Amino acid sequence: MSSLIGFLSLVFAIGINFYLFLSRYIFKFQKQNFNLFIRLSSLLTLLSFFSLMYAYVVSDFSNYNVFQNSHSNKPLIYKISGTWGNHEGSMLLWLCILSIFSFFFSFTKNIEDNFQKLTLIIQAFLHILFGLFIVFTSNPFLVNSILVNEGLGLNPILQDPGLAVHPPILYAGYVGYSIVFSIAIAGLFQNTDDEWIYVAKKWSLISWTFLTGGIALGSYWAYYELGWGGWWFWDPVENISLMPWIAGLALVHSLMMVRGEQAIKKWIVFLSILCFSLSVFGTFLVRSGILTSVHSFAADASRGIFILLIFFIVTGFGFLVFLLKEPKKSNALNLLFINKVSALVINNILMIIATLTILLGTIYPIIIEVLYNKRISVGGPYFNSTVIPIMIPGFLLMSIAPILSWQTNKINNSKKYVLAFIILSVLVILQSYFLDFNTWGFVGLLLGFWIILASIIAVFSSYKIKINIKFFKIINPHVAHIGVGIAIIGITCSSVFQNELDFNLNEGDKFNVNGKTVLFEKIETTNEINFQSLRGKFLFDIEKNQSREIEAGKNYYPVSKMITSEAGILHLWNKDIYFILGDQKNNEWFVKVLINPFVSLIWLGVIIMMYSGLIAVSRR
Amino acid sequence: MSRIFILTPLIVLLIICIFSLVYLLSGKDPNKPPSALLNKDVPIFESSSLYNARDIIKTKDIKNKKTLINFFASWCSPCKIEHPLFFEIRKKYPELYLLGFNHKDPTSDAKKYLKDDGNPYDFVGVDSDGLIALEFGVFGLPETYLINEDGKIIYKFMGPITMDILKNEIEPLL
Repeated sequence: MSSLIGFLSLVFAIGINFYLFLSRYIFKFQKQNFNLFIRLSSLLTLLSFFSLMYAYVVSDFSNYNVFQNSHSNKPLIYKISGTWGNHEGSMLLWLCILSIFSFFFSFTKNIEDNFQKLTLIIQAFLHILFGLFIVFTSNPFLVNSILVNEGLGLNPILQDPGLAVHPPILYAGYVGYSIVFSIAIAGLFQNTDDEWIYVAKKWSLISWTFLTGGIALGSYWAYYELGWGGWWFWDPVENISLMPWIAGLALVHSLMMVRGEQAIKKWIVFLSILCFSLSVFGTFLVRSGILTSVHSFAADASRGIFILLIFFIVTGFGFLVFLLKEPKKSNALNLLFINKVSALVINNILMIIATLTILLGTIYPIIIEVLYNKRISVGGPYFNSTVIPIMIPGFLLMSIAPILSWQTNKINNSKKYVLAFIILSVLVILQSYFLDFNTWGFVGLLLGFWIILASIIAVFSSYKIKINIKFFKIINPHVAHIGVGIAIIGITCSSVFQNELDFNLNEGDKFNVNGKTVLFEKIETTNEINFQSLRGKFLFDIEKNQSREIEAGKNYYPVSKMITSEAGILHLWNKDIYFILGDQKNNEWFVKVLINPFVSLIWLGVIIMMYSGLIAVSRR
Repeated sequence: MSRIFILTPLIVLLIICIFSLVYLLSGKDPNKPPSALLNKDVPIFESSSLYNARDIIKTKDIKNKKTLINFFASWCSPCKIEHPLFFEIRKKYPELYLLGFNHKDPTSDAKKYLKDDGNPYDFVGVDSDGLIALEFGVFGLPETYLINEDGKIIYKFMGPITMDILKNEIEPLL
């Protein structure tokens, strides 16, 4: 029953959007009714999504999708998250978020009626495309042809609380760019005043903040679940999310130039189209099964071709409109040697180069396989040696960019900055001279601390310190940059200064980690419902009374013949100590211990960036 | 000049789409997991007949004959779809030994299923707790394995077999 309701409301929502789309040419109607219909279609799409969720919650195995991906013994949270833990459901979530964005956009005030209507019509067009995709190739409401009383279960690796919330947040970021896309296209068609840029700014900030959160959650999950000791692997799926993130960052910064009355409209429109195109392209790469990863559920060529077609239509349409309806000439840019405009332009160029570099590395294996029928993979070394150097000048610039002037080359208090930079450099040189020297470590630390320091100096010397909301809004750009600085320090320390120790141990052995004695207590094996677990128990710092227990091991899932590694992580204030249990050889266990200094700074930096993203949304 | 700049995204888009399309149409499937057991010995198993608990089949019983092993269950709808094909195989290759494993199924359901849809197997082994499937590395039902006379797994197929797969992939091995 719930499947039927879900399917019908999905189809009705598509129908309404079709009607709205046609209303531009025939059946014209009033704005009031128009918005009502948009909201109605959003509610229907939501209803459709919740009926699928309901089917999961009550374990309605007459729904084929539920039967394939759920099991009645699963905890409630994984029943709910199972709704989007499969291809069909996740596409429905995609559509659902698209219509939620349209819903909220229909309430936007202060914009011209026709403009709002046109934006929503483009949204309706997107809704139709993705809706048809779901109905024809990925219907989550298929009925199971025979009666069953148990389902097949959810992939064990996806049964994790972090991963339960990661897809909706990430999708909110991806799909949020659809509104920005529609606004930009509508802006091209109408070619009116620049009011739409302010609207676009708000929505692109919202999307960017969600995308940041989604990426961070995925990356945090990789850190504690995959058990490789790292948190970013330049995996194609990670790259796909990083591309719209960087392009979105460029967009957010470009939109700021509007305040200097130097709207580079053309560029903003280009970025808006690019962001959403990259999102759809990411959806295509993941959903078509071209890339192998935990994200690809089932490969089906017809789905791939359908999404490729959507990608082609959306992006092609966007850029074609861009080509034909070129925005009218905007003011010439006031480019000086060092003012805000030139800093923002350089930053934009760098971000676009970085995005293209990542794009090239990501699709290169596809091109090679088509041309030479060879399978290659492009990984960390390529990205580390290309993307990071490209970004460094940008990082240097961002430390002072917010206090640069729009009109002149002058920097207020420039002496303070020079002095601070010299002192900082000396300190970092001393640090790296007396501790271990590493070029990347030196560069990373200097950059990170410099960004933080310069931002703090800027806050104290340029504004009157007050503790109220308005003040926090004013210093928000600096706060965001401090977040970046903190994250850079975390990234540098945890990657460059990571320490790896290998041991071969018997149960009861004591060994030394970082000056503390650790006891390898025992190995324990237990049988859980759907896996066998093997755990090594360690006691950290046994000389103290409050020694801390760490468990590291692995799980074996016999049904899928899968071994997952379960790292044991001890979080200290300045480092994570990361235990990995290896194999047993000659009665000795191989134990790997990684010391990751200041990893938590990465998450802290990300949280600060998200916070300032939210603050910026509320600021006009 | 600026027109060329604006055209670039469209050209890039076209190139990406063409390559992706060629890739998709070439039918490459990076997700097809290769079986670790391919070209290895059949796992050791022991199972009783669905119809007579005292009738036992063991690994050594299928030595010296080509065997097609199929994991199925009454609750598995794709199994129902591929079911009629086993009658075809039976008719065409009478010497091939057809061994069915009934996976995690109540006996009465399994019997009813084979009564309604017919029983193409030479022997139906019970795998009520799924342990035999575990040994074979069964990922999801149905799954079909072809074992040669030396007791080696020479072919494995996940999902329901179809006429095409039977003609193009299984028959050449028979």
